[in-house]
Amino acid sequence: MSNLEKYVAAFTSTFLVEESALANLKYQDIAAWDSVGHMSLMAVLEETFGIEMDIDDIIEFSSFEVGRTILAKYNVTMK
Amino acid sequence: MPIMDIRAIIKHQRNRYPVLLIDKIIDLVPGERATGVKCFTYNEWYFPGHFDDEPNVPGFVQIESLVQTFILTFLCKPEYAGMKTNFVSINNIRFKKKIVPGDVLSIEATLKTFKRGIAMGAAESFVDGEPACSAEFVVAVPDILDQFKPKA
Repeated sequence: MSNLEKYVAAFTSTFLVEESALANLKYQDIAAWDSVGHMSLMAVLEETFGIEMDIDDIIEFSSFEVGRTILAKYNVTMK
Repeated sequence: MPIMDIRAIIKHQRNRYPVLLIDKIIDLVPGERATGVKCFTYNEWYFPGHFDDEPNVPGFVQIESLVQTFILTFLCKPEYAGMKTNFVSINNIRFKKKIVPGDVLSIEATLKTFKRGIAMGAAESFVDGEPACSAEFVVAVPDILDQFKPKA
């Protein structure tokens, strides 16, 4: 799987949403992306990509798109 | 002499009568494990109704007793003492033995991970050495989780 596919899978498996809903998805747009869901997503992403995110990045991670930019800081590039 | 008597338990977690469901902690390794004890007397509010002809401890009481022991594995630490917690998930629940008035439930809880306000672990319980109830827990600590909320 590509990094983008893994990234998408992290969202769809954590929040049980379709891939088509991800492009504009933001924190609290759906019930599943609450504070607990956010921590679950961070844990899945860290395990998927073998990284440990800074608290500042966890707080900044407010949407699907912003998350792509943040993960680039950890050398997780997605095309 | 217990490691945590009822006063210490009250100090470290927020459950109160009539839903404080453990009586003492007899073994404790902060951040790792805890062993709690819950004594059942017929005088508990649920026995006459569950059931009038065959009193036994309801499943939800057993689960709550287990998780209240579990949360003390991390609430025993000064930085977390007194924080509220809430369930995220309960998995692999097993009820293996009916628990009746007069039984003493020994609960062994293990904390596997506790990171960013999410605690994951499990608890097993025994009556007279026989397995009674067990479950796996994911518990959240909202006061810690809130520190990691994305900006609006």
